[in-house]
Amino acid sequence: MNETYRPVHAAAGEEQISVSLKEVSFGYDPEHPILQDITLAVPQGQWVSIVGPNGCGKSTLVKLLNALLPKSGGEIVICGHKLEEETISDIRQCIGMVFQNPDNQFIGATVEEDILFGLEGLCLPYAEMESRLHVYAAKLGIDHLMSKHPGELSGGQKQRVAIASILAMEPGIVIFDEASSMLDEGSRNELLGILQEMRTEGKYTILMITHDADEILAADRVVALAGGQIIADVTPEELFRDEVLLAECHLQMPYPWRLARELHRRGIDAGVAADEKELIDRIWPFNYNK
Amino acid sequence: MAIQLQQVSYIYADRSLWKQTALHDIDLAVPQGSMVGIAGATGSGKSTLLQLFNGILKPTGGSVRVLDVTIKAGEKSPKLLPLRRRVGLVFQFPEQQMFEETVEKDLCFGPLNFGLSLEEAKERAHRALLDMGLDPALLARNPFKLSGGQMRKAAIASVLAMDPDILVLDEPTATLDPLSRAELITLLERLCREQGRTVIIVTHRMDELLPYADSWVVLEKGRKAFQGSAQELARDPFILEQCGLTVPQSLRYWRAVADRFGLDNEAPCLTAESLAERIASLCAQPEEDGRGERDGYE
Repeated sequence: MNETYRPVHAAAGEEQISVSLKEVSFGYDPEHPILQDITLAVPQGQWVSIVGPNGCGKSTLVKLLNALLPKSGGEIVICGHKLEEETISDIRQCIGMVFQNPDNQFIGATVEEDILFGLEGLCLPYAEMESRLHVYAAKLGIDHLMSKHPGELSGGQKQRVAIASILAMEPGIVIFDEASSMLDEGSRNELLGILQEMRTEGKYTILMITHDADEILAADRVVALAGGQIIADVTPEELFRDEVLLAECHLQMPYPWRLARELHRRGIDAGVAADEKELIDRIWPFNYNK
Repeated sequence: MAIQLQQVSYIYADRSLWKQTALHDIDLAVPQGSMVGIAGATGSGKSTLLQLFNGILKPTGGSVRVLDVTIKAGEKSPKLLPLRRRVGLVFQFPEQQMFEETVEKDLCFGPLNFGLSLEEAKERAHRALLDMGLDPALLARNPFKLSGGQMRKAAIASVLAMDPDILVLDEPTATLDPLSRAELITLLERLCREQGRTVIIVTHRMDELLPYADSWVVLEKGRKAFQGSAQELARDPFILEQCGLTVPQSLRYWRAVADRFGLDNEAPCLTAESLAERIASLCAQPEEDGRGERDGYE
């Protein structure tokens, strides 16, 4: 995981910054700010996990980026556009969002219509729509579902359709807001695979709100929120090594990490095993050399 | 038995062109006071099954016996109101059903509807809130001003306030953060162990319920693919894959350790703590007879 982590360079000016926030705050009433003093820069192509307890302001934060919620103060710059009344529509074209429950974002009566809906909104020529439809449906492996009603699909398939609809609009930034929390483990792994492919392509800056240990571990960087502020900006490994920070974020270590910690407490330093076979290989000498 | 299903099937829109069979020939027995997990891929019939437990749906084939009430397909069903009080059903995102201006009023709504006096209802509300590990000071609060985890617990408390013998929950921990999820499962386990309620939980997060559930039911395409104890499931967890589910990590690690050290006859260790403890004890003592001869290596 370490080799894929791309830290923010000191000379960040040279690198393209996709998302930049300076002292951003938000609150419905000034007495009780929900977010305060958020400063953050995310370079193009980075995959950032946003973590923190329920109600800490994660979803609020990402909704400020494309002005689904109006910021109360500070400055937001998205792909070079400073967020203002006049730039909102440009900025919205740069950002795609995938939510928790794909049912809430279906509009079309078929999968095909649903993907085309966003493209129509962009006023693309017919041939371009046709070609994007096929490219992105093939990419997410849903070409055989094009004439289905979204209600006929499984949870994992629905989430794929939602992602295809968003990616077809070719946004530079894709935000996943707990997009896997309603999925079973198999579909969660599928989603993780899609994200890894997106990272490999390098075209997307990914912001992912999540509580899932495996998803956090797959990211380049973790931004932790608590009480409306950024409390840590670290690598996934640093997060999972810091038990105090984990508790503050209401998170748990991945199972193999927990097992390694518990074994360590009992005097067995087997390290973190990649899977159960490796665990057996690692603990066997402890048993054998008694 | 708290719940017994005999050859139950359920068909949506029966007698129409669009009929769709959701459950086939299900035989099921849930002992009183046990904690049961129900797993299955999307569309396997979990939610349909739950709705049979308190008569929201009536079987189109077979018979459903819940406590002392029997609902048979094709027969006029007995009075279901008392059953609905005794079987509390908590749907997905129960907090979306809260509507009153204070938590107390919301919690009293059920008991009042079942004919209790205001005083008794308030007493029930107070107790239910405590059972869900919430501070009674929240009673006066607006339910919509609580945090996500508190709201979920308060919503479950509003079902608990009816004092059900059986509590059935559909994905109670979905979308909560991991800490709140673990807390909620512990609270539900207490309701089962300390108060003797039967607790049935549908979940796609088997890993978090595995250490607590007495038994599991796994559905596949409307059929029962497995029913048995956690220990039986731990012996052959790969049945889950045949049902379109992923084997949780805790089970996979236990399986690997149990295979290597021949531990199949003991209760499975399904938490990181218990598995580490078991491994440590294996490393501390010489291996038992037969399997690994010492070959004079010490």
